[in-house]
Amino acid sequence: MTCSAVNSAELEQVRRRVFLALFIALAVALHTFEALLPNPLPWFRIGLANILALTALYIYGLRALWIVSLARILVGSLILGTLFSPGFLLSLSGGLLATLLMSLGYRLWQPKIGPVGVSVLGALGHVSGQLLIAWLLIIRHPSIWMLLPFFLLFALISGMVNGLAADLLIKFLLGHPAFLRLRNLAGGNYS
Amino acid sequence: MIFSIWRQRLTRFDRKLVAALALLVLSSFLLPLQQAAGSRLVVSSGDNILFVAPLNQDQQFELSGPLGSTKLQISNGAVRVLSSPCPQKICIGMGKVSRNGELLACVPNRLVIRIEGKSTDRESGYDLLSR
Repeated sequence: MTCSAVNSAELEQVRRRVFLALFIALAVALHTFEALLPNPLPWFRIGLANILALTALYIYGLRALWIVSLARILVGSLILGTLFSPGFLLSLSGGLLATLLMSLGYRLWQPKIGPVGVSVLGALGHVSGQLLIAWLLIIRHPSIWMLLPFFLLFALISGMVNGLAADLLIKFLLGHPAFLRLRNLAGGNYS
Repeated sequence: MIFSIWRQRLTRFDRKLVAALALLVLSSFLLPLQQAAGSRLVVSSGDNILFVAPLNQDQQFELSGPLGSTKLQISNGAVRVLSSPCPQKICIGMGKVSRNGELLACVPNRLVIRIEGKSTDRESGYDLLSR
C-alpha cells in the first residue's frame, strides 16, 4: 500500500479511528451475546462489553473510554430492541455512573492503577447507578436497597474477571506492531 | 493459580483498591441489620389496606384472603405467620420480621404484611402531629 506517502500523524489518526470502531463493534457483539446468556436475576450481568471500554481507555485514553461506552450502550440497545425502554434507562444510567467512576479513578491514580482496579470501580458504579434509577423511577420502595449488597458482591467478582481479561487483551495489543508507536509513547505509564 | 494471577496481573495499587472495596461490599451486608425496628404492621391485599396493628402488643389475629384465613402472631415486637391455607407454606417459612421495611408475603392468599414506622414513634406514641 501507499503507507510511506502518508504522513505518520495522519496514519496514527486513521488507525485510531479504525481501532475505536473495531472496539465498539466488538463491545456491541459482546453486549448482544450477553443478552442471550441465561440470567439468574434480571440485573446480574457480567458486563463483558466493559472489557473493550477498558482496552480503549488504556490504549487511547479517557475520551476513547467515553466514546466506546456510550456508543456501545446506544448501538447495543438498538440491536436488542430495548432502545428508550425502561431497561435502556437502567442500562444507560449504570453505564454513565460506571464510566464516570472509571474515568475518575483513572484520572486520579493513573500511573498506579491497572485495568483490574478501574474495572472493579466501573462494575460497582454500574450496579449502583442501575439500582439508583430503578429506585427513583420504577420501584419507589426503600427495601430495594436490601438488594444492593448482593449486587455489589457479584459486581466485585465480575469486575475482577473483566479486568483480568482486559489486562490480557491490552498487553497483547500493545505487543502488536500496529501499536508500536503508542507503546513507545506510553512506555513510562503502562507496561 | 489464582494467587499467581493476583500477583502478576494486578498492580500493587489495584490489590489495595480491590481489598478496600471488598471490605466496603462486605460491610454493606451489615446495613439491613442496622435498620431500625418497626412500630406497626400493615396488611394489604392488592391496593387495599386490610389491617393495621401496633407491634408492641402481643396478640394473634386471623385475616381472610381468597383461599381462606391466615393466622398471624405478634410477639416481642415481631410478626410471623402461624398458619396459612396456601399450598406451599412459604409465608410460614419466612419466619419472623420486626425491622422497618421488612415484608412477609403470602402470594396465593394475596396478603402482604409490611412493617412500617421508626422505633421513635413507638416511644412517643403519637399517630400524627399537627401544628
